Amino acid sequence: MKIEERLSLLNYKTDKSYEHITVNPNICEECPDHFCTFACPAKCYTIIEGKLNFKYEDCVECGTCAVACSHGSVSWTNTKGGHGVKYKYG
Amino acid sequence: MSEFDAIVVGGGPAGASAAIKLAQNNMNVLLVERGDPPGSKNVSGGVLWGTGLGELSDDWEKTAPLERYLESKSVAFLTEKSKINIDFSTKNFEEQKTGYTVLRAKLDPWLVKKAREAGAMVVTGVTVDRLSKKDGKVVGVIQDGDEITADAVILAEGANPRVAIDSGLREPLKDHDVAIGVKEVIKLPEKTINERFNLRGKAGYACEYVLGFLKDGVEAGGFLYTNKDSISIGAVISMKHLRQSNQVYSFDIMEEFASHPFIAPLLEEGRVDEYSAHLVQEGGLSSIPKLYGDGYMIAGDAAGFSFSNGLVLQGMNYAISSGISAAEALVEAKQKSDFSSASLSRYQQKLEESYVMKDMRTFKGIENVTWSKMIHKTFPSMLENVMMGLFKEEGKPKKHMMQLVLDSMSSSKIKSKDMLLQGYRMLRRM
Repeated sequence: MKIEERLSLLNYKTDKSYEHITVNPNICEECPDHFCTFACPAKCYTIIEGKLNFKYEDCVECGTCAVACSHGSVSWTNTKGGHGVKYKYG
Repeated sequence: MSEFDAIVVGGGPAGASAAIKLAQNNMNVLLVERGDPPGSKNVSGGVLWGTGLGELSDDWEKTAPLERYLESKSVAFLTEKSKINIDFSTKNFEEQKTGYTVLRAKLDPWLVKKAREAGAMVVTGVTVDRLSKKDGKVVGVIQDGDEITADAVILAEGANPRVAIDSGLREPLKDHDVAIGVKEVIKLPEKTINERFNLRGKAGYACEYVLGFLKDGVEAGGFLYTNKDSISIGAVISMKHLRQSNQVYSFDIMEEFASHPFIAPLLEEGRVDEYSAHLVQEGGLSSIPKLYGDGYMIAGDAAGFSFSNGLVLQGMNYAISSGISAAEALVEAKQKSDFSSASLSRYQQKLEESYVMKDMRTFKGIENVTWSKMIHKTFPSMLENVMMGLFKEEGKPKKHMMQLVLDSMSSSKIKSKDMLLQGYRMLRRM
C-alpha cells in the first residue's frame, strides 16, 4: 500500500490557526542532504521543483523530523487543544 | 500554597500509573493529557510484558482491554528469499501471565479511567507548553499562558519529550537515542488469525524480526503481533543508518516488510485499517537523563526507559513501574513537605532497587550490539548459506555442518577470530 493511501486512512483534527512544526526555508535551501524527506514516515517533507516543501497537515506527531534535521531548521512543538492526529488503535 | 500536590504531564502508561498511585494515596493530583481522547496520540508495538497492571488495579485481568495473552514467541531473520525462525510456544506464558498484546488507543483510556476513579482530576486535549519555575525550582506548568501550580511535576510525555527537552531537563534527542517506528494495524477475522498462527481462544503470537533484506546499509527490526481481530505489524528503523544511506524512505521499509514472501501470506485478505509512526527510545542507559530535580521527576519513555535486545522489545512495563516509583517517592516527599531534589532522589533510589535501572545497567551498551552489520547483514546471510548447504542435494558429497559454517564465514569475508569475538560480545551483552 502506498504511503498516500496509508495516510488517507488516518483521522485528523487539523488546526488551521496553528502550525505546530515550522521549518526555516533559508536553512532548507542550503541543505546538503534533505534527510527529512527520507526520515519522515508521513511524507510531510518533499522536494518540489528543487525546493523543500513541508506540510504539517499530514503530520502524525512522531517526533522524527526534530531528530532527523541536523541543521537546525525544524522547530517542533506539540499540537494544541486536542488537534492533530487521532489514532483509533495506536 | 500550590493548587495541586502533583501535576502529571502525559496520560500514557507512565503518567496514568503515577496518577493512579498518587490518587490512591489521597494526593490531590492533576493528570494532563494532550490527546483527546487519551491514547489517541500514542503508539506502541505493542506487547505489554509482565503484570504491572496488577499493581494498579485488582480487576485488571477482567476489565483491562488486553487483546490476547502471549502463548507463542518467535525470533526470525529475514533475507530476501528466506526466513530463519526460532519458535517458542509454551503454556507457561498463560499460567505465569507473561505478556499481552495491547492497542494503546484502547489501553490508555482504561488507565486514565482508573486514575479518574481513584480520584485524580483529568484533563484531555490540553497541551502543557512548558514548566513553571521559581528560584530554579519547578513549581507547576504553563498551559495556554496560564500557570497551574503543584508541589511537584511528573513528566511522562513519552518518547518525544518536548517539555523536558525545552526546559533543559533532557538533552535534545540524537540519532543514538532513537529509532523510527512505523506500524500498520491490519484487520482480519479472529478465526482466520487463530487458524493462521495456530492459536485457540485468547492465545496470541508475537514475533521479532531482523530485516536482513534491507539494502544500502539500512538496519531495522520488524515485529508482528496478533490482536483479537487484527494484526499489528511494523518496523523499528535505526535513525543513524537511515541517515548514512540517505536514499531509503522510512515508509517504504514498512511496505517492503509487509510484502516479504514469508510475511505477505500472513496478512493475506487483511485490510490495512491504520498506519501509525512514532519515535522509539533506543539508546539504553546512555540516553537516560537526570531523573529528578527540585520539584520534578521524569518517568517512562520520556526518561528513556526502554529495552531491546533483538529478541524482545519492552517499554510499557518500565513506564508503569517508573510511574509507580515516582508516585511513591512523591507520597514520601509530601509526608516531609520537602519537594527538593534531595527529597525526590528517593525516586532514583527506588528505580535502582527495582528491575528498571537494574535492567538498564545490566544491558548497558546493548544498542551497539543490536544495531550492527553483524546482526543485520552478516549473520542472516551466513545462516541462510548454512541452511542451504544442509538441505540442498546436488549429487555432491555432503559437508559437515562445521565446514558449512566455515565456508559461509569465508564467503562473507569473516575471520573465525572476529566471529568468536563478536559472538562473545553479543552473548555477554544480551
